Amino acid sequence: MKKLIAMLMAGCMIFLMAGCGQSQSAASNQTAAASAPAQETAAAQESAPAEEPAPESKGTFLIGMSQCNIGEPWRVAMNAQIAAAAEKYPEFEVVFSDAAQDNSKQIADVENFIVQQVDLLIISPNEAAPLTAVVKKAYDAGIPVIVLDRRVEGDAYTSFIGGDNVLIGRKAGEYVAKNYPDGAKVVEIKGLEGATPQKERADGFREGLGGNDKIEIIYSQSCDWLRDKAITVMEAALQANDEIDVVYGHNDPAAVGAYLAAKNAGREGEMIFIGIDGLPTPDGGIQEVLNGTMAVTYVYPTGGEEAIDAAYRLLVNGETLEKEVILDTIEITIENAKEMMERFGG
Amino acid sequence: MPDNASKKNSIGDMLWQFKNFISLIVIFIIASIICVRGDRNLFLNPTNLANVLRSISENGIMAVGMTLVILLGDIDLSVGAVLGLTATGAAVLMVQNGLNVGLAIMIVLIISLVFGLFNGVVRTKLGIQAFIVTLASMSIARGLARTWSKGYSVPIAFGTEPGMVSPVYGMLGERIWGIPLPTICFVIIAVIFAILLKYTRFGRYVYAIGGNETAAYLCGIKVDKVKIILFSLCGLLSGVAGVIHAAQVSQGSPNDGIGYEMNAIAAVAIGGTSMAGGKGTIIGTVVGALTLGILDNMLGLKNIDNNMQQIVKGFIIIGAVVLQKEKKR
Repeated sequence: MKKLIAMLMAGCMIFLMAGCGQSQSAASNQTAAASAPAQETAAAQESAPAEEPAPESKGTFLIGMSQCNIGEPWRVAMNAQIAAAAEKYPEFEVVFSDAAQDNSKQIADVENFIVQQVDLLIISPNEAAPLTAVVKKAYDAGIPVIVLDRRVEGDAYTSFIGGDNVLIGRKAGEYVAKNYPDGAKVVEIKGLEGATPQKERADGFREGLGGNDKIEIIYSQSCDWLRDKAITVMEAALQANDEIDVVYGHNDPAAVGAYLAAKNAGREGEMIFIGIDGLPTPDGGIQEVLNGTMAVTYVYPTGGEEAIDAAYRLLVNGETLEKEVILDTIEITIENAKEMMERFGG
Repeated sequence: MPDNASKKNSIGDMLWQFKNFISLIVIFIIASIICVRGDRNLFLNPTNLANVLRSISENGIMAVGMTLVILLGDIDLSVGAVLGLTATGAAVLMVQNGLNVGLAIMIVLIISLVFGLFNGVVRTKLGIQAFIVTLASMSIARGLARTWSKGYSVPIAFGTEPGMVSPVYGMLGERIWGIPLPTICFVIIAVIFAILLKYTRFGRYVYAIGGNETAAYLCGIKVDKVKIILFSLCGLLSGVAGVIHAAQVSQGSPNDGIGYEMNAIAAVAIGGTSMAGGKGTIIGTVVGALTLGILDNMLGLKNIDNNMQQIVKGFIIIGAVVLQKEKKR
């Protein structure tokens, strides 16, 4: 009986493996093309498409997207935008992996993509230092790499696409400086330590405050970009400080989490909340501004669509990509929130 | 207990050992069959096999330590946190304090040993269950790691300029003739402890205590002393895994190692070691670690959704343990 159960489970496993795998073995024509560039150095990889006399001889392209943490709504949106953009191009097949905030898992995910000889690697690294070596390995093996949102160290990648976090932080700082010329007490709820956007949003904010001594950052803690952690962090801030004027969250979940904590303490009316992301989803930043939870948020584009378009230009047209592509931001307040929601598809 | 075992028992033991390998062989074959793309076998690719070996090494080393403790009928939940503490400490000492590699490693290994010692002493002298003690020390280790680095991840850059760490340490991330160095460490450690358990008197004491603690005590075995030694070794091995981990990810982060204790326990369980103590081998644990690693690799190569991976893994663990549990009496 026990053996039967064990065999049954093994059988289920095989069934699940075969059925649930997203990659098909149909793309056999890519194996010949893929094995040649794999030996070449990164510099030569632009010539790989040129080895094919006509782009049509390479049927489909396998793109591996290594995401660091689907637990963040913003990254769910990034993956969704990548998938939506890829539908425009029938020659693209995109497979996703999620590292759930574990560096070691993301390293293994990228190694698996290298073994599968993906035609392009898109990666949003969990942290810069741990992922640099394995991304370099992919790049040196001839796989073009597009880095999204968070950086790796060094320059062993094809193109970086991301928003300008320093600019966004600065705009947030300027907003506070403009609205609180006589001073304010600011609580900062930061993103994940070790992720470059966090540092840039913090630095930019301080720049934007413009050296106004009367504006004080009285409390600054990380919530790892997560709303539930932000609630805990804000509760501590509320306990420690009787007077808070501004809460600057490094992303919308942070700001909303802080709002919930303040509401629980009955103090949400005493302060304004600033967030970043500005997603047009029902639980996103734009809606929160419309609800009056946040005073202002800044659109932080995911770059998903730009990445796929860049992939098309690189893989199919054989163009060279720009090393750095910096995307712009939009400030969303109650004045333009409705218009923004309609524009981005609420 | 020892030599009076009937012939039936020793045949049963041999068959039982063989069973460990069955689940590993089955998974290996399945992976070889289904991880194919076009005319390439993704799984049997030498780079991929080396990747698998690399990815199981840290867990494998921790699982060896965990085997020792589980053989007593106890458990150690703090291994992941101690890995995080060691990795963080090593990084901070080398990068921020400028200590040389050897000294930094020695310091953090001593710290991990002390943690194990703490677990063992509190378990035996205060009589608190291992689950509780190690749950507490898990929390303490995590807190210490966060305090040490002030909550930050400490990146490690290899080089010779100030603020950089000697490339010798970085060698732990390299491969020799295609075999990753961490795997070589794992194999050496597994061999040492397998010999210790199987061929030394100390090893027999371990099984005796796990099998029947009172009888062992009455036989004159210093039960407390053996337990303290085993817990200390488990802590030390987590420290070794931590030192390797920091080199592998070029970073020491207090958030590393969260949940790693689960993988270590899973490896030990799949390897056929009984949670009640007294039965199990290091080779079983090695097989368990390999099985888990191949499973993870297979799911990754087939690009199976991360959430589905968790579910499938859970079922496999149950299935593998059930396969090992055939009653032979």
